[in-house]
Amino acid sequence: MKLSFDQSVEDFRQEFVAWLAGHRPTVEEMDADPAQSSGHAPAWARRWTRRMFDAGWLVPGWPPERGGRHATPTQQLVYLEEMARAGVPRTTNPQGLGIVCPSILDYGSPDQIERYAMALLRGEKSACLGMSEPGAGSDLAGLTTRAVRDGDSYVINGQKLWTSGASHADFVFLFCRTDPDAPKHKGISVFIVDMDTPGLSVRPVPEIVDPRHAELNEVFLTDVVVPASNLVGRENDGWAMANGSLAHERGMVWVSSVIELENATRRLIDEAPALLAALPEDERGGAADQLATRYIDMQAARCLGYLGFGRLLKGGSAPEQALMKMFASESRQELALFGAELHGAAGLNPTVNPGVVLPLSTRDPTTWIEQYFRSFGVTISAGSSEIQRNIIADKVLGLPRS
Amino acid sequence: MDFQPTDEQEELRDSVRAVLRQACPPTLVRQVFEAKEGEYDPAAGALWKQMTALDWPALTIPEQYGGLGLGFVELCLVVEELGRVAAPSPFLATVTQFAPMVREVADPEVAAAYLRPVAEGRATGALALAESSTGRWEPALVATTARPDGDGWVLEGCKSWVIDGAGADEIAVVARSEGSTGEDGLGVFVVPGRTVPGRHLPVIDPSLPLAELTLQGVRVGPERVLAPPGRPGAAAAVRRAVEEATVCLAASTVGTCRTIFETTLQYAKDREQYGRPIGSFQALKHRLVEMYMLLERSAALATFAALTIAEEDERRTVAVAMAKAAAGDCQRLMVQDGLQLHGGIGFTWENDLHLFLKRAKSGDFLFGTARTHRAAVARLVGVTA
Repeated sequence: MKLSFDQSVEDFRQEFVAWLAGHRPTVEEMDADPAQSSGHAPAWARRWTRRMFDAGWLVPGWPPERGGRHATPTQQLVYLEEMARAGVPRTTNPQGLGIVCPSILDYGSPDQIERYAMALLRGEKSACLGMSEPGAGSDLAGLTTRAVRDGDSYVINGQKLWTSGASHADFVFLFCRTDPDAPKHKGISVFIVDMDTPGLSVRPVPEIVDPRHAELNEVFLTDVVVPASNLVGRENDGWAMANGSLAHERGMVWVSSVIELENATRRLIDEAPALLAALPEDERGGAADQLATRYIDMQAARCLGYLGFGRLLKGGSAPEQALMKMFASESRQELALFGAELHGAAGLNPTVNPGVVLPLSTRDPTTWIEQYFRSFGVTISAGSSEIQRNIIADKVLGLPRS
Repeated sequence: MDFQPTDEQEELRDSVRAVLRQACPPTLVRQVFEAKEGEYDPAAGALWKQMTALDWPALTIPEQYGGLGLGFVELCLVVEELGRVAAPSPFLATVTQFAPMVREVADPEVAAAYLRPVAEGRATGALALAESSTGRWEPALVATTARPDGDGWVLEGCKSWVIDGAGADEIAVVARSEGSTGEDGLGVFVVPGRTVPGRHLPVIDPSLPLAELTLQGVRVGPERVLAPPGRPGAAAAVRRAVEEATVCLAASTVGTCRTIFETTLQYAKDREQYGRPIGSFQALKHRLVEMYMLLERSAALATFAALTIAEEDERRTVAVAMAKAAAGDCQRLMVQDGLQLHGGIGFTWENDLHLFLKRAKSGDFLFGTARTHRAAVARLVGVTA
């Protein structure tokens, strides 16, 4: 056990920090054309992706031809730390880079790899993930969007819901049912569908804080014809790509959320002395006690991340990540709520930043009450906190199935 | 950044665990719980004899004092195992409280006189810091006085909640010069245990016996002065020692919580109602996950604190407070839900669960509760003055 990284890792960190300083997009550049959703790659973001790809800093763990430099897992960890610390979004299309791209690289045909995965890596395309449906949320395997083989094509009919970034993405990585008679996990296939394919339409779902803004969408598919060559992997073999186990950096997805929690906690701690002074004296002790808990949770999140990362290096399993997702997102939510409460009636002011996706914005942070409502985006999506608890109960604690 | 034990550390932990599984079964802890008041002598038992035979007290005593010179991380690994079995032994008070105080505060030749016997397993120790007037393990609040008397000193005051205070061979006493306040005028002395009759305090957890020590004109010679009152840096040295003791108690509590958690988890898998294991009910599953989360949180922060001490990291003081607060948060839920989920059987004296529940409570209430340490965190990060 030790508190420091090996010198080789620190050297790697320094090399990246130096490169980042010279090549990062400027705040002005990012603010002039902010990403409108997680499917949106503004011109600066596409250039930024390409710059990282060419320099081997886009996915450091991969080989140079895929935008990396064969970095070790620990080197990748400090890379993500420094990226988050610099306040630069590594990508404005995280599901494209983190999930869709590695899935296509692992399962796709050479043509799919070139036209879609490499296009994502070169900043030429962005992607969204078509998974959830009105009737299939936490129970994702219950999805009913249907793809039927018709000669050299598939015809797709159905509806997706909560599709992040669909109104801006170039293509969707679409989970469909191809065998309605098989057990529900066994009849699912994945297709790459260009968003401009006839029969595909997108309706943005106005969001809870600011109805002018829509990260989430409904995607309607009516007789959408897709060439059979757009099937990713084998027919009925798509579930393997659904549970996120392919994500190359799955042991490190916590890094950016922990650093965001850290930054937000420090903002509240900085505000705290003035806020406490404004409180009646008999409320101050309780408020200080809660602030201390927020601070401890923030430090605990980082330590838990290192603990789980260490286990992963020793061959541990992914369910550790369920704990991190749950703990970091719930801590973030508690922080935002408590921050709002500390302001009393003034905490009701939402001061919405119109059309800005919070984690991608370089602008001044919005108010705590807005952050609180937005924080549910993380505790609900990508496996709700309750689903994470079920995963931990089953996979880590070995409790019998319900 | 590596929170995983090295192979050597794992080996140490496993060997300590294996020994304790044999040498400290719940039946032994139960004997201590069922002994008449004051009847249990921690140093007289077979467990301590085995620990000393295996050189455990010497593990983390510096080599210059006859110890094996292992680090603080290793000490925390050992202590967590002791907590796991709720070991009733002089180890905690001697090795994690008395020894660090001597090492931090005394000059080497004085330190040698008290640490060698500990390393050789010939002496036990205790730390007398807290007093009943404040109930805090905070040197600045000490009221016990030391008055010069020839070449020695005379101590007056009353120390409370001294772990093993009624049985230890040597007791480190924190006192101050008359008229001094706060961090000024602090000194540390070693008093032979037999010269200050400790009064046993009734406690719910006899595995960590507590005593009140009345110091009435207790004279100590010059050879028993670890630091004379007012020596520069004495307060800081005392604090450093208390920080080590605090993290060890947190690590011990994490160990006890592991046992409560594992026992409760197993019970939820075994116990059947309505024709199925109660652990298959989601209402219980999610509570067990909550327990697991707080257990991991406290373990992670205890590890962090141990590392900051081992590596002299500047975050040390806040890390210590966070570790003790997190251990306190953890035991609170472990005791609450551990007992509740066991149902009626957990409510009985015959079941072993209560031995660990009570030990967990000791782990929170001694050396500052979670609330006390959260207040410290708030101060240290600048939320409060």
